[in-house]
Parts: sequence; C-alpha cells; structure tokens
Amino acid sequence: MQQTLTPDQTQPLMQVPPAVITTKDYSYLKDELSWELLAMKKCSHFARECSDPEIRQAIDKAGLMHQQHYMQILKHLQTNNNQAMSNVPKS
Amino acid sequence: MTTTQTQTQAQQQAGANSQTIKNPKPSYEPQVKSPAMNDRDRLNDILAMEKYLTDSFNVSVREASHPALHQDMLTILTETHNCQYELFELMFRKGHYKLEAEQQTKLDQAYQQFSGYQSQFPYQQQGTLQ
Repeated sequence: MQQTLTPDQTQPLMQVPPAVITTKDYSYLKDELSWELLAMKKCSHFARECSDPEIRQAIDKAGLMHQQHYMQILKHLQTNNNQAMSNVPKS
Repeated sequence: MTTTQTQTQAQQQAGANSQTIKNPKPSYEPQVKSPAMNDRDRLNDILAMEKYLTDSFNVSVREASHPALHQDMLTILTETHNCQYELFELMFRKGHYKLEAEQQTKLDQAYQQFSGYQSQFPYQQQGTLQ
C-alpha cells in the first residue's frame, strides 16, 4: 500500500481505499451475482426455444458472458478481509 | 411503417417516406402473430434485460470502493454495453427496427445555433469545431 507521511500526522495516509470489501461492496456484490445468475438462466432458456440459429447463437453468447461475469464478481467474495484490514492504519 | 414493400437491398426504402431506414423482415416471420412468444419477442426481452443491467452496473461502478473492484465493475459494464449493442444490431439486421433520418434543414439550423454558442466558451483554447 502506498503511504505518505504528513508533518502534522504520525499516521500514514492511504492514497486509495484499501483492497477491503466494505459493507456496501458486500451488498452490491450479492445483488450483482443474483442479476448475473438470473440473466444467464434466462439466456440459456430462451436460446433453447429459438428457431432462428443466428438469434439462438446471439442469446447464448450473451448468456455465456453473464456466466463469466458471475465468476469475475464471485472472486471478490474470496477477499481475505481480515488480512487486508491488518495492513490498514488504525484511526 | 410504409406499405408492403419488398426490397432486397433495403438500406433506405423509397416510397411514402424516403427518410426511413429499415431492413426487410425475415421470411419465416408469421404474418399472424400468436399469443406465444416468438424469436423476436425473446430477443427483445434479452435486449431489455441487458439495458436494465447496464443501468444497474453503472451504479455498481459508481459505488465500488477500491480500485480493483471499480475496474472490474467498469469492465463488466462495458462488456454489457457491447452485448446490448450487438443485440440491437442483430434486431436491426432482422428488420425489427425502423429508423428515421432527421431533416437536413433541422441539422443545419441546430448547427448554426450551437456554433454560435462557442462565443460563450470559458476557455480560450480552440475546441474541435472550427
């Protein structure tokens, strides 16, 4: 973490928020995962019902994207918040 | 929509309105629609969902705390936008969208009007307009 000292403070200043999942991040991550899960299910279901192969392919492509997004978002729930917080200066 | 015109090279349909931009509908599309959802309905529904998701992820980007999380959300937002636009393009190709060109006089008039507002610019540096 990049930290600088200012004369009037003994505490190092954090330049950016640390890689901690905040309470707000947590709420959003759960919401986002639910959106993506519903989206991929809907795409897969609709694609199977389509008779035009071009439309089926396009909808499946969207569904696969949502599945990949799901995994990308899920990674953030694997954050070790305890470890991340141990490096954060105590206020 | 204009009358039943069948043009194979339908970029711009002549006829009642020469300002219309529309492809012909696929031949397999039923003339009489049933209450059941068809391919067009499904595609439209997915498009609507992607549009909704871009709104949702826009908020996610704005509210993310640390840089890596913000960047991931921004990537997801961009990819969702691209997906949404691809679906729109597909619907346009399938003749599901009718676009209409604005009148040239209106463009010219608005260009004049907003060119004049350059006098109100607070910065001396030249913008992109000549």
